[in-house]
Amino acid sequence: MSAFSGMEDILREFLVESYENLDRLDQQFVLLEEDPGNKEVLASIFRTIHTIKGTSGFFGLGKLEKLTHTGENLLSQLRDGKKSLSPAITTDLLSLVDAVRGMLRHIESAETEGPADHADLVSRLAAHTEAGPVAAPAPEPFPTGEVEEHLPSIQPLVVVELPPPPPPVEIPSMGKILVESGAAREEHLSEALEQQAAGDPRHIGEILVEKGAVEPVAVKDALAQQQENRAREGSVADSTLRVEVANLDRLMNLAGELVLVRNQLLQFASRFDDASFNSILQRLNLITTELQEGVMKTRMQPIGNVWSKFPRIVRDLAHACGKQVRLEMEGKDTELDKTILEAIKDPLTHIVRNSIDHGVESPEVRAAAGKSAEGFIQMRAFHEGGQVNIEIRDDGAGLDAEAIRRKAVERHLVSSEVADQMGDRELINLIFTPGFSTAKQVTNVSGRGVGMDVVRTNITRIGGTVDMQSERGLGSVLKIKIPLTLAIIPALIVKAEGQRFAVPQVSLLELVRLEGDHARKGIEMIHGAPVYRLRGRLLPLVYLRAQLGLAPAPETGSINIVVLQADGRPFGMVVDEITDTEEIVVKPLWAALKNIRLFAGATIMGDGAVALILDVMGLAQQSHVISESRHEALAEMSHAVEDNGEDRQTLLLFRVGDSHMAVPLDRVDRLEELPAESVERTGSQEVVQYRGRILPLVRPSDHLPERRGERRGGDGQRPQTLQIVVYSHEGGSYGLVVDGIEDIANENIQVRREATREGVTGVVVVHDRITELLDLERLALKVG
Amino acid sequence: MRILVVDDSTTMRRIISNSLRAVGYEDIVEAGDGQQALQTLDGVNLLLTDWNMPNMDGLTLVKTVRSSAATAQLPIIMITSEGARDEVMEALAAGVNDYIVKPFTKETLGEKVKAIIR
Repeated sequence: MSAFSGMEDILREFLVESYENLDRLDQQFVLLEEDPGNKEVLASIFRTIHTIKGTSGFFGLGKLEKLTHTGENLLSQLRDGKKSLSPAITTDLLSLVDAVRGMLRHIESAETEGPADHADLVSRLAAHTEAGPVAAPAPEPFPTGEVEEHLPSIQPLVVVELPPPPPPVEIPSMGKILVESGAAREEHLSEALEQQAAGDPRHIGEILVEKGAVEPVAVKDALAQQQENRAREGSVADSTLRVEVANLDRLMNLAGELVLVRNQLLQFASRFDDASFNSILQRLNLITTELQEGVMKTRMQPIGNVWSKFPRIVRDLAHACGKQVRLEMEGKDTELDKTILEAIKDPLTHIVRNSIDHGVESPEVRAAAGKSAEGFIQMRAFHEGGQVNIEIRDDGAGLDAEAIRRKAVERHLVSSEVADQMGDRELINLIFTPGFSTAKQVTNVSGRGVGMDVVRTNITRIGGTVDMQSERGLGSVLKIKIPLTLAIIPALIVKAEGQRFAVPQVSLLELVRLEGDHARKGIEMIHGAPVYRLRGRLLPLVYLRAQLGLAPAPETGSINIVVLQADGRPFGMVVDEITDTEEIVVKPLWAALKNIRLFAGATIMGDGAVALILDVMGLAQQSHVISESRHEALAEMSHAVEDNGEDRQTLLLFRVGDSHMAVPLDRVDRLEELPAESVERTGSQEVVQYRGRILPLVRPSDHLPERRGERRGGDGQRPQTLQIVVYSHEGGSYGLVVDGIEDIANENIQVRREATREGVTGVVVVHDRITELLDLERLALKVG
Repeated sequence: MRILVVDDSTTMRRIISNSLRAVGYEDIVEAGDGQQALQTLDGVNLLLTDWNMPNMDGLTLVKTVRSSAATAQLPIIMITSEGARDEVMEALAAGVNDYIVKPFTKETLGEKVKAIIR
């Protein structure tokens, strides 16, 4: 190693920089294959290898230098058009990238280049290079006089796909400072500048002083100011900074702590009625929120960082499978938390591999089906409703729901009774069940179909959801929704024996409260296990108290069931009390508690008490509530529900005035009850402050054309509390004001009549009652 | 004595800057390519530049610097790769005062800088 001080630091920087450049190379090689003559891409590839070569010499990395040097020679010939790109050359250049990456990894872990010298690759690269090595040995020093007149022209180098350079930092020139401060006059300055342009080597200040146009002390002041400006702005290259992730994690953690303290303080403040204290608190509140958002932002990275390796994967895989695949990416700049980005890397790879292997057909099959020979895979990312959506779409063969049904039954993944009740969408999503594979033959690309259940497990672990949609012959789309960050999550707070527990909202399906007769008789025992009949299906139950080793709750005449979902299957958790939903800051558990499967972490509540966060998957596993045998037994005992479920839709039923109305439950974000006095007005629009945002309120009766003889809801006195159905539309949230939530219905719902008035999409009969389906989009437009 | 170091690789910039500091030059500014370098020229007494860079390469930078009266006399050292004979000739023709071949020691760099600014 050379005798540079701080070499370890620089070596690490070298590794980081080189990895980044190599990752970009993968993408550029694919570009190059599409457009083999692209000089810009070639120049950029050349530059990366060239830089690694140049730098490796400083670290005494001889093997790496030799390897990259051979690659550099070949690349310079390609760039200069002396040689044209062939698939064989591309493959060897890709091997070069892999070999370099391998060496860098070895250097990173063992501080040596590793045993491999890649002699084969070096000789293959050299063989591609025309007439042996082009570069001469180290040049003799040239006396300046010997320079020839006619020199070989060099291609101008331009880079593609690099972020645009930061805008130039404008540091006022000395002359400008002097004129602006009034120390010098404009005309003197232009004279001095002319003199400089004519060849005067002195600084502007010196010329002006000599002319007597300015006092020497003014020049000194201006110089000091210029220095200060420079120090403040830094050089252009210094505008970004590498920071250790551990530092950011610590900041994030501290910001989280501050949020908790802020919450405690807010709760504490509500005991006093001190206006000045409250206004200070409001400021603290705002600053904390901003700080937290700011820190979160530093951890955000564009998804393009992970995606950059996909062009290469798609290319290699498509070649290996004898398929033609075009990859398109949209929304590369969509940002998400670094931890989440890491977590989705492998699942995404798996999904893309699957799409190529099982989705896109061979060119012959595609041609026979009247499609273009080249298949198409699109990766798309976008933000919506505080979540990141990722979609992977292909125009391949699509999934065969019937084949999936047969296979799932054959493999005892579901009973045939259950399978018969399932709609196409549900059937298709069976591919996420452990042990499922649709591939007719096992390939070495995506293996034995062990992947998709792992994909779902990984996505679920970070609080996300996966959904597969597919149309036979047209292709499939896999949709992933993941939270922006894992540090703060919405959770439902429940109680068991006075203790509070947080249930991550992502696992939550619905809440059921049984009272009176229902509470006494609603829960049945089947094979010794408690179940509840929820809309015709048997829901296995877990008692939170029993899982915690506590005595059963005393009879209270009511039972609270939190309906949860683990591994795609619903189950109910019986708790003493359901309190509220809250945004909680997730804290890791103390190491000694980490192997208790029941808990995923802890949080500190507003009053300072610690609440444990329940791990829904762990709870399901510990209680065996979703084990295969039990699930099947239940499925067989469930009442077969009439019809094939194709038209099933779960509706939220409510009352507005005299009318019964409904919206699809999956459109509903939350149900809220807010005091009537919290309603404010902006212009004619009613709004409430809700979770730090402004929520416009929609009163259906205000927007629907009146029907004859209808009694309007809410005339006379308005109620004390407002029942609000919160839903989102195109990124905004809206609050639908209703007079009473009535029920959730999941029966075979048929639209009886088309819409009879504006703002209504159709009329259905639910529970023997005429119910109007509201048009949420149109209502959102009315207030938006 | 302000020295401007121009290289698209942050690692190379650090190696060069650290070497310069090790031999006693403290006032160092950096730029990532030729265009950035042109924005950073003010008050610079010596320019050290790489050849291969995006946006504007070292050769174009040298030509641009030489073509402006204010910087026509600015001392320039070109940093080149081993074996780039053609590059060195072209750089000298464009008006660089000296060149240095990678990898170099801080002593070599120090001597070249000292010789040029004298």
